Amino acid sequence: MKVTLALLSLGVATIESQASITPPDFQFRVFESGVASGGEACNFGSVNQVSATEWFFQGNHSNTNGTSMSWSYLVDPDPFIIGTFSLTNETAFGKSYVIDFSLPISPAIAQSTVSGQMSGTLTDSNGSGSASMTSTNGGAVYTALADEMFVQSLMSNANQSVSSAFGTTSFSGGSFGQGFPPLAGPAINSTIGIRYSFTLSAGDSVSFSSIFVANPVPTPGALAMGILSLLVARRGRRRTA
Amino acid sequence: MKNKNNFIFITGIACLISSAASAGFNSSGALFSVTSSVGSGTLVNVPTQITPSAWSNTGSWTGTNASVTWANDIQGWNSTTSAGFTNGNIVIRNNTSAAQDFAVTVAMLGTATGPLVAAGSVGGQYVNGSASLGSLTSTGALWSAGIDGTTVNTQLNNALFFAQPFQVSSLGSFSFSNLAIGNSVTDRASIRFSLRLSAGGEASFTSAFSFQAVPGPASLALIGFLPIVRSRRRR
Repeated sequence: MKVTLALLSLGVATIESQASITPPDFQFRVFESGVASGGEACNFGSVNQVSATEWFFQGNHSNTNGTSMSWSYLVDPDPFIIGTFSLTNETAFGKSYVIDFSLPISPAIAQSTVSGQMSGTLTDSNGSGSASMTSTNGGAVYTALADEMFVQSLMSNANQSVSSAFGTTSFSGGSFGQGFPPLAGPAINSTIGIRYSFTLSAGDSVSFSSIFVANPVPTPGALAMGILSLLVARRGRRRTA
Repeated sequence: MKNKNNFIFITGIACLISSAASAGFNSSGALFSVTSSVGSGTLVNVPTQITPSAWSNTGSWTGTNASVTWANDIQGWNSTTSAGFTNGNIVIRNNTSAAQDFAVTVAMLGTATGPLVAAGSVGGQYVNGSASLGSLTSTGALWSAGIDGTTVNTQLNNALFFAQPFQVSSLGSFSFSNLAIGNSVTDRASIRFSLRLSAGGEASFTSAFSFQAVPGPASLALIGFLPIVRSRRRR
């Protein structure tokens, strides 16, 4: 059973003055130890329009399985997802989690370049003197998705730990596609997403700040138009001089 | 003779326990405050009791195109010997088109009898969600821990972090321990964040501040005395 926690159901009051503008259907799904969590509609968040295409989602939610989550995300259907997600395992035993964020995009991208990055913190929230966050079965903690398919991943075989009461450790999860030349990505028709997959010790907290950006690759025609316009502008400047 | 030694041993343990108990940790809840150059905002905090001696706080401050959210702010105390809190995860977001200042204070209200030893830690990330070079800075300490309004430790002094457009910068993690606090806590222990975020910036932090009782001279004397008593019993 998949449970979809719609982040955004909500901020109706926040955006009622712009009733004609609908926020993107930015969602996340939570799976705990292989089982979909709760079933609660996530009506605890808010959404605000930040610019013509950018939306800011934030909120928090504690489910009946002893998992407490909060999120703060800026998204653009153009598209990018950027923000911070935190989770506390309030149970007495370690648990594995899979968190899927999904953002519908518009327009579709025939050929993309992609970039992403993540970093995070792990905290001994219950003061037990230790905390750990590891990859589940050696997989990646961060996976970038396009149309729900793998694009890139970060933090494979992660093993982060804290060894002091109420201690905190920061970790850099790395990046992809931020250098030159741009990293080629797939055609993207409907969604981009970020998946977090990890195992967290009892009573402890983890937070991830991450980014996933997809840009369309200019078509040859568009490139030619761009170069032509530059040449025209240059000639214009010469004549003026 | 054996009975006499047993009496001394049991009395010593009882004195040790009562000495620790005199440290007396009590907590009366949490207090959150946010000030920002953005202007006034609406603050909401929801406390939840998760164990008989621990509370979790979740809430937010919402201003015009700016926000501060916190979750899993857990404040707890272990019997009578230690107390501490973590701010959970605090996220500060500037959605305006200009740099903005933020000051966020998280306080654990309560008392604790000194002397104490304190420990703390802080770590975080900075996300630049704008198309321009972004920065996170502080004048003085970005993070400070205080007792009854007096700062006892600072971290990330004169912080200066940059991030390219749509990139994340790890702020690292910093900690301290065995910090001697001579006085008692009479009102509150607190964590304070003070920073400036460029347009479109987001900073998130996890930090903690904890302290425990220092055994008094009488307790130390008893601790030293116990091996002697045991040694006599063995003889």
